[in-house]
Amino acid sequence: MSDRAGPAGGPPGRRFPRSVYGVGNEPDPRFTLANERTFLAWIRTALALTAGGVALEALGLGLHPQLRLAAAVLLVLAGIGTSAQAWVGWTRTERALRLSRPLPAPASALPLAAVLLVVGVCIVLAILLA
Amino acid sequence: MSTQKSEGGLFDPGLQPERTALAWLRTALVLTVGSLVGLRVLPHYWGPFGLVLAGTGALASMALIGLAVRRYRLTGRRLTAAGPAAGAVPDGRLPALLALLTVCAATIAAVLVVWVAAV
Repeated sequence: MSDRAGPAGGPPGRRFPRSVYGVGNEPDPRFTLANERTFLAWIRTALALTAGGVALEALGLGLHPQLRLAAAVLLVLAGIGTSAQAWVGWTRTERALRLSRPLPAPASALPLAAVLLVVGVCIVLAILLA
Repeated sequence: MSTQKSEGGLFDPGLQPERTALAWLRTALVLTVGSLVGLRVLPHYWGPFGLVLAGTGALASMALIGLAVRRYRLTGRRLTAAGPAAGAVPDGRLPALLALLTVCAATIAAVLVVWVAAV
């Protein structure tokens, strides 16, 4: 444990969030950095889902309006959920690393796959019923 | 750590800090591009309120690029320092800020989608 206060990193004992840094020991920094990159990949996924929902509604494409709206709303809601889960997943993984426990499973993977399945069905129907 | 090097050297032959910095940059760039699109779209629907909203988002995402670069410099300094701070990667403040920004952007997008459909 270090005792030097860093401007962006926060002094030890005051690092954010406490639920992560209050437990365990410093892991290998390479694991922490890998966890950070996974978090960033989930954030980009959330941004892509959001952009897809907006584009679907903005472009119109002559699809069935109600089904198109349903798919677009589901996509942006998935964007909200995925970005929130990205943060929760980062904290849970970082905690597991500090406690040398098995890493948690990606909790958002299955719900996201299910939502995207529904979105896909909505879009297919919106094309057929256009 | 078998990979500890002197000040200014490489921390990891796998370039972990560098790859992480690049991941931060592409994420911040996606967010910046999105907020610039918002700058084009939101005032059209919500007038001055939309302009303020999109402007705030654009400034925040550009600030994020600067903060990400700063975070990378700090990470490099800490990981190559042979001092007591070695190994302490910067904490979760910037990830939390980014997640918050993304949730806000997606929420605005959700309202926009319903708004466009209703108008």
